[in-house]
Amino acid sequence: MTHPTTILALWRVPSARFALLVLAGVGFLALFGGALAPHDPLQQYTDRVLQGPSADHLLGTDYVGRDVLSRLMEGTRLSVVGAVEAVAIGGLLGVPAGLVSAWLGPRLEWVTLRISDTLVVLPFTVFAIAVAGTLGNGLQQAMVAIGVLISPIFYRVTRAATLGLRKVQYVEAAELMGATEWWTLRKHIWSKVLPNVAVTAAHVTGSALLVVASLAFLGLGVTPPAPTWGGMLSSDLGYLAQQPWAPVYPAVLMMATVGSLNLLADAIRDATGATASPRRRPRPSPSTSVREERPDVVPA
Amino acid sequence: MSIAAPASPATGAATAVGGAGGAVAAAVRRTLPWLRSLAGIVAVTVTVLLLASVITFALGALSDSNPAAAALGETATQEDIDRLNHEFGLDRSLVAQYFSWVGHALTGDLGRSWFTTIPVTDSIRTALPVDLSIAALALVLAILIGGGAGIGAALSNGGVFDRVVTLVCSLLGTLPPFVIGMALIVVFAVKLQVLPAGGYVPIGQDPLEWLRFSILPGLALSLDVAASIARQLRTSLTGELRENYAIGAEMRGFGRRRVLFGHVLRNAAGPTLAVIGLAIPLIIGGAVMTEKLFGLPGVAQLALQSAERGDVPVVLGTLLVTAVVVVAASLVINVLQTLLNPVARRGDGTTVGAAS
Repeated sequence: MTHPTTILALWRVPSARFALLVLAGVGFLALFGGALAPHDPLQQYTDRVLQGPSADHLLGTDYVGRDVLSRLMEGTRLSVVGAVEAVAIGGLLGVPAGLVSAWLGPRLEWVTLRISDTLVVLPFTVFAIAVAGTLGNGLQQAMVAIGVLISPIFYRVTRAATLGLRKVQYVEAAELMGATEWWTLRKHIWSKVLPNVAVTAAHVTGSALLVVASLAFLGLGVTPPAPTWGGMLSSDLGYLAQQPWAPVYPAVLMMATVGSLNLLADAIRDATGATASPRRRPRPSPSTSVREERPDVVPA
Repeated sequence: MSIAAPASPATGAATAVGGAGGAVAAAVRRTLPWLRSLAGIVAVTVTVLLLASVITFALGALSDSNPAAAALGETATQEDIDRLNHEFGLDRSLVAQYFSWVGHALTGDLGRSWFTTIPVTDSIRTALPVDLSIAALALVLAILIGGGAGIGAALSNGGVFDRVVTLVCSLLGTLPPFVIGMALIVVFAVKLQVLPAGGYVPIGQDPLEWLRFSILPGLALSLDVAASIARQLRTSLTGELRENYAIGAEMRGFGRRRVLFGHVLRNAAGPTLAVIGLAIPLIIGGAVMTEKLFGLPGVAQLALQSAERGDVPVVLGTLLVTAVVVVAASLVINVLQTLLNPVARRGDGTTVGAAS
């Protein structure tokens, strides 16, 4: 992924270029949105409650008269940072576990597989509520909870990719020539596993954005006055009769971000030839090759 | 939950031996792999439930809230804390606490709320049917909508309908389910005013009223899953339609529809069932969102309220019960998959990847 030719190959694909531009825009908003916002996102203009778009408030005001555009710009930071943090935690837990379980063989495999089964069984929202109820309600707790539940996806993808490479001839050749396990892992395995991890990370970041928004909607993670996309949607819910179009703005921003991440994931997969689980041998008939969709979407 | 059944070498030759003794041996040989895969499923299920209970209990053990703080708040003295801790058995060792918690949970006793001292099981028993009925409705809707869309897309392979389905599916995947729910509220409750925006009537009281109140939550919850069902079913169906048996049937003069419904659908249903199995935690977790959205008195409201006041037993109880519900539903899906696929029933090669 860090290889410049891969980035170039991605840039040549129109859908990936579009996705990268949108994501760059969202990243810019996340970094500088708060500073560039035309109004203070917490300032309540109590004389201008629930107004439509105007020259002063380009996207109108919410139920206590706060500027929607400013809240959207400031809210990008918390929404995006939360999702990225959760994915980072999931990756840090899942990828090494996947490598180790595939490399050390059946000794650890059964246990790690069952742990990942268990984490898959726990629904995100219920688990996040339980974490909030026992360890306290905060952004860090919520993100750790989501990260832990995301880790099985990284674990499974890494493990599947590594298992496929375990018996490849050049790996065996390297081992025969006396390469240490660590060296083979770093030199041969990692470069092949990385595209799979990148595809998964892009997909999962999109899903994590949705989960973070869902938690904010439930009042978990980010505490109310601070703006987030999910929190804005949550407060819009009470005023749907007066302002039925209000949820559109955060929803569109979310759709653009998540959609771009999905496009990017597909483009990375096409550019690097990453698959969900590399097969050990070519299949006998080509028609059986793409039968199963990749079940890597995170439940919200 | 993926369950890799142990491979069995002895299934193919079962019918070759004659005589009564041979027949018995053959019967044993035929059922043995099945029993073995059953044992595998049971072992995995028990382990998963055990691990889920450990994770749940660990959350409670890591928590720094205590019954005195939950019930008395700031005014609790050290004496009160110690007295209530003793009353709820929190002064024992963690191992003893875990075993008594799990032991009681097995008999259906999840302890009492620190706040109201109502048994947790009673609170969950009144709240759970709300979620289960909505989730079941959502599952039915998802299978109907997703199945219809997937079959239609496969029939019009490459046509307009196919492309529309693909587009709608990818768009639905970029939105959290509660936004879809909000859109449904705006359309059906605010603009058209044909359905209520919130509230609930138990299904036992008045099934028609129940349907009126739960059709919007069910629909909001189902669309996400319907999209993944449609996508998977389309992929499997177009793949199966290219197989020799499907082409052969078509060449013998059967219509495309007859081939699809008579021959191909059954074979394409396996991966789709797997997708449905993966979607079950999604639906149960999504039920939490719809509860808040539509103001339903379900498990999530219970858990959220308890989480707010640090009522640990209720929170842990809801998490454990949710996990059990998901595991049970996954088991049903697993059994259905086995019934549908004779190869899996024989106990060899349940996973597609292991077949080559």
